[in-house]
Amino acid sequence: MSFHIVVCIKSVITEAPDKRVIRTPEKCGMNPFDRPALETALGIKEKTGGTVTALSMGPAVAASALYEAMSMGIDRGVLLSDPCFAGSDTLATSNVLVAAIKKLAPCDLILFGTRTSDSDTGQVGPQTSVQLGLPLVTCAHSIEYTDSGLLVERRADDFLEKFQVSLPAVLTIHPSSVQPRDASLSGIETAFEKKEFETWDMAALDLSSDQVGDPGSPTKVLSMKRVKRDRKCEFVDGSAGEQVDALVNRLLEAGLIG
Amino acid sequence: MDTLYSEKNRVLRRSVRSFCEREIMPIAKDIDQEARFPWEVVEKMGKLGYFGIQVPKKLSGAGMDSVNYTIVIEEISRVCAGLGLCVTVHNSMAIYPIMGFGTGEQKQKWVPSLARGEKIGAFCLTEPNAGSDATAIEATAIRNGDHYVVNANKVFVTNGGVADICIIFVRTDPDAGRKGTSVIVAERGTPGFVVGDIEDLSGMRSNPVSSIRLYDCKVPVENLLGREGSGLKIGLQALDVGRIGIGAQAVGIAQAALEEAVKYANQRRQFGVPIAKHQAIQMMIADMATQVDSARLMVTRAAYLKDHGKPFTKATAMAKLHAGEVSSQVADMAVQIHGGYGYSKSYPVERYYRDARVTRIYEGTAEIHRMVIAREVLNEYK
Repeated sequence: MSFHIVVCIKSVITEAPDKRVIRTPEKCGMNPFDRPALETALGIKEKTGGTVTALSMGPAVAASALYEAMSMGIDRGVLLSDPCFAGSDTLATSNVLVAAIKKLAPCDLILFGTRTSDSDTGQVGPQTSVQLGLPLVTCAHSIEYTDSGLLVERRADDFLEKFQVSLPAVLTIHPSSVQPRDASLSGIETAFEKKEFETWDMAALDLSSDQVGDPGSPTKVLSMKRVKRDRKCEFVDGSAGEQVDALVNRLLEAGLIG
Repeated sequence: MDTLYSEKNRVLRRSVRSFCEREIMPIAKDIDQEARFPWEVVEKMGKLGYFGIQVPKKLSGAGMDSVNYTIVIEEISRVCAGLGLCVTVHNSMAIYPIMGFGTGEQKQKWVPSLARGEKIGAFCLTEPNAGSDATAIEATAIRNGDHYVVNANKVFVTNGGVADICIIFVRTDPDAGRKGTSVIVAERGTPGFVVGDIEDLSGMRSNPVSSIRLYDCKVPVENLLGREGSGLKIGLQALDVGRIGIGAQAVGIAQAALEEAVKYANQRRQFGVPIAKHQAIQMMIADMATQVDSARLMVTRAAYLKDHGKPFTKATAMAKLHAGEVSSQVADMAVQIHGGYGYSKSYPVERYYRDARVTRIYEGTAEIHRMVIAREVLNEYK
């Protein structure tokens, strides 16, 4: 068995923006939730052979995530980049990823992180699987191979669910399922020596402008601002016993205990 | 400052920082207090290539340039200066002389295992009566057929307690003065090779700094680096390169001190507000940030010059001198901002304060560096 595994990764903003998202090379890096997906893919490749391709949609600065993935040891990186992709919501993003995955076919396994550290929707993996018509298991915690496909354990809250899944399939990988490897220094050196990631634009993906960017996005971000958390300090009066009662009542009322 | 770096520099810094914060930061305080060399982490660093940063890939290294080298050293030193010291001395002072002056056979023999971190290297120049005056060394290597008989008493050897491969400065011709100095490679385990007690140092305590003594130690003639008499040339070139690493190490300590000071200034409240609101603290923070940036720029420039084959002796001496002094000043201000807590081992700035001090002493004292810089400048404007 030799898999072609596609891992969809994102270059996220590493510093919280204010009002407007400005992507600069210094403030971008690979989504930390994508690392376990890459590790899972590289682990499978080491056991069974095959190839690992990483896909990332974004402007040119998003290449840093691909370089990080290449430093970890993937075989091929593809940047999906076109000015028309700007402003894509999760659905428009999955339109682009679906087109790229079809172009990369045949693929046995398509992996995602469970969510991203910047926009945090967790929707792109599931949307992509629906559009591809492939089975999906989210929060995959362990993977076993059988003759008929995969046995996947899904971890949700304090439960482990076990699924049998036929291939090809889409999985989102639970962040605590594996310890992602560190890039070795020679891995980093090699990644930048090769510089071999490809860039596919809208035309290369055979997409039209109404499927991507603003026109392809049913949701729009209208504004963004920081939430201010107000803290206030109250003093409880009375004897020690009265203070305890008052505090317990206050916590009960707030629904924090009981 | 960030914008001066390439994408590769940034990916490297993120990657090394992530490793260091996960693997080294949690144990940094303990290994300092216990004066323990953390083999478990060193092994992982070896597998990631930290012990052969600039060694070509064909000799099991990572093949990186000097600018990237400074990034790795700075990031390790930001969490643990003692390990930063281990890595920079190993790379610059043990591997570099072999790469720069060794024969093809010598490189094949020693470099791959050093680059993989399977063996640790050390540089043995200092003696009880020879520090800044390197020409005063008393160690001897007297040729006897196919080997030298070496007698040496080397002190303050960084990595001494764990080193397998040692670059040893000796006199092969005791009557020839400075021209009689040579470099031989001695391996731990050779009869007569003795590792002394680990020094109980003020800082850099995770590094097993020790004396190394050779008593009638027979070292094969093929272990001579370069020619007989070329010892001082090898030593000075290695120190030129090594100082870039010590500069980067000093920047790492200063960066850590700055970050801790800012964090504490935002948390600690006095007179009803975080102390960061007080102008006296702001003045210190501004000076610290400016100092750290200037030191990093100078260290990066020295590395850049080396990478581009330009003369770098003056730039390196200036960078090491400035970074060492910045490191001491910034750590001192970080302690001051912490007040009484900064003088306690409960906060890491106390460790940074101790670690920073030696960067003005080793790999050439600040005073020797001023002599080097003055000589270069006086020649330049003559």
